[in-house]
Amino acid sequence: MILLEPHNYIIQTTLAEKFIKPSSLDVQFVDFDGVRFHLSTPDRKTALLLSMNIRCWDELVQYGALDVLKREYGPLLQAQPESEYNVSLLVDLETAPPEGEERDNFVKSLALLKRNALAAPFERAFSTQKELESSGAGQGDLLQIHYRDEEAIYVQAAHDRVTVIFSTVFGEETDRIFGKVFLQEFVDARRLPTIQNAPQVLYTNREPPLEIRHIQGLRDSEDIGYVTFVLFPRHFNNPTVAAGTISHIELFRDYLHYHIKCSKAYMHSRMRYRVSEFQKVLNRAKTEVASTERKTVTGRTLTTR
Amino acid sequence: MSNVLRPYLAAVRSTLTAALTLENFSSQVVERHNKPEVEVGGSKEVLLNPLTISRNENERVLIEPSVNSIRLSIKIKQADEIERILCHKFTRFMMQRAESFIVLRRKPVKGYDISFLITNTQTETMLKHKIVDFIIQFMEDVDREISEMKLSLNARARTVAESYLIAFNP
Amino acid sequence: MEVNFRKIDIDAYDEDVLLETELYDADPRAPSQVIEETKAKAVAVRSSLNKGDITGALVTILDNPPYGPGVDEAKNLTLQTLVTVLNSTKSSDIPNVVKSLPLESQDILMKYLYKGMAMPGWGDVSGSVLLGWHEKLTEVAGTGSIVRAMTDRRLV
Repeated sequence: MILLEPHNYIIQTTLAEKFIKPSSLDVQFVDFDGVRFHLSTPDRKTALLLSMNIRCWDELVQYGALDVLKREYGPLLQAQPESEYNVSLLVDLETAPPEGEERDNFVKSLALLKRNALAAPFERAFSTQKELESSGAGQGDLLQIHYRDEEAIYVQAAHDRVTVIFSTVFGEETDRIFGKVFLQEFVDARRLPTIQNAPQVLYTNREPPLEIRHIQGLRDSEDIGYVTFVLFPRHFNNPTVAAGTISHIELFRDYLHYHIKCSKAYMHSRMRYRVSEFQKVLNRAKTEVASTERKTVTGRTLTTR
Repeated sequence: MSNVLRPYLAAVRSTLTAALTLENFSSQVVERHNKPEVEVGGSKEVLLNPLTISRNENERVLIEPSVNSIRLSIKIKQADEIERILCHKFTRFMMQRAESFIVLRRKPVKGYDISFLITNTQTETMLKHKIVDFIIQFMEDVDREISEMKLSLNARARTVAESYLIAFNP
Repeated sequence: MEVNFRKIDIDAYDEDVLLETELYDADPRAPSQVIEETKAKAVAVRSSLNKGDITGALVTILDNPPYGPGVDEAKNLTLQTLVTVLNSTKSSDIPNVVKSLPLESQDILMKYLYKGMAMPGWGDVSGSVLLGWHEKLTEVAGTGSIVRAMTDRRLV
């Protein structure tokens, strides 16, 4: 699996199962970026309550997350979310669509809850770009999403583009160096003719890009990196393409770190193998020690004292 | 084995063979103690001249002989930041398993990446030329392993970047 | 309480302590004489090299080399002169040159090869040239020569 999926696998499989065979349920689970989910049946077996806690909810609401969720989930959205969670959806299994493609799509859309909540700032930036395009100049507000403790996404619309900046922290030295290799490839990959249409990628280490340099409180240390994506109207003019772009770009940070971890795991397995090979070479140096057990005629073992 | 590396490894091999003439030797300082003199460094007369074999500043081997033990330290080639971190990870991984590599030292000598300590007990219970073979094989493989790991990292990074960016194509 | 006495190096007051100078016989020549001799040798080596007599040049420079403390200048000049000779020898000539050296010179050459390798990047020292010589010298002089380089306290 090279690309990560935007939907939550647990929501998808659990709901699909419960549609077929309703039963009482109370599970808590997590997704990327510290998002917590709670899936339960508080009243009866056929009424499933799906709640989500997301770190940057207040910012998302400010950028119109509720509108997006209302559009996606309509009446399912609860006015009063479950305590400790930011948003709750009530799914009634009895009024659910019939089995088949329709139901699969319904389940899938529920599994996209996190993606949809995070999509709000991007959608807003895309529409701002449309407005600015007619005036031919100027730029929109800088939208900030602090979706992790020390990492954030910044989205800004201009009249001809939308800039998305990720700030990301590399926890340790190895991650930082591996991350540099990966990001350099992102920058270089656009030279390939098949990828000419992809957004432009820029990468800076430590130094924040111009767009966000005025923000207070950016950490100044070696382990921080900034990745800038420049999205052009061709990436979001068509609604289907825009939806794809949003799902894809939201997961960039997780995608990058996932593959850094994968590389480290691979290196580790390689080292394990190589070291065991060395061990074999060294063992060849050991002289054979006669270790056969010697016994007396009566069957007792001889031991040296 | 590449032709450029051959004289280097040959020099290490002959020097190490020459140095591995160890005998049992009790400590002159503490009665009833027997310790590797090269580590203790207490009595000059049992320490021999340390010898260095080098290809260049970044690739060298230091052999410190003494009457009952020798210490061999290797500085592994590290061309850039990636090789440096891979080398560090690899040697650390190995040194954490020093228990099973009886001739391996848990910490490298200052200025080197990995050190081995061979004592007279080991040369008595193990085949001397096979210990030399092990060291040479290690030196050969570690360079190759690090460059292969670096290549695989680059290859993965390229695939990852391309598959991510290609997905933006409408 | 006074604890400084713990830092006193009591071995220095021991009558039996082994000193660096007792490990080998000191060079009878005075440092000034050594440097003069080395300079003269460097000139002689250059003229031998011009005649293409590599063996002669090596024998000259490896004869009675400076050792011990206080003669760093002479030591460096010797190494530098030697490295010039080594660098200017064609690799195909090395085996014959090494074979024609007297035993004494072979051992001293071995010492200088290790000395050169211990200071990579110094002057014209090139690792691959020294390694090439080392390989050929070991083939001729054997492991014994390395052992002698290891055990001889008269460091060059």
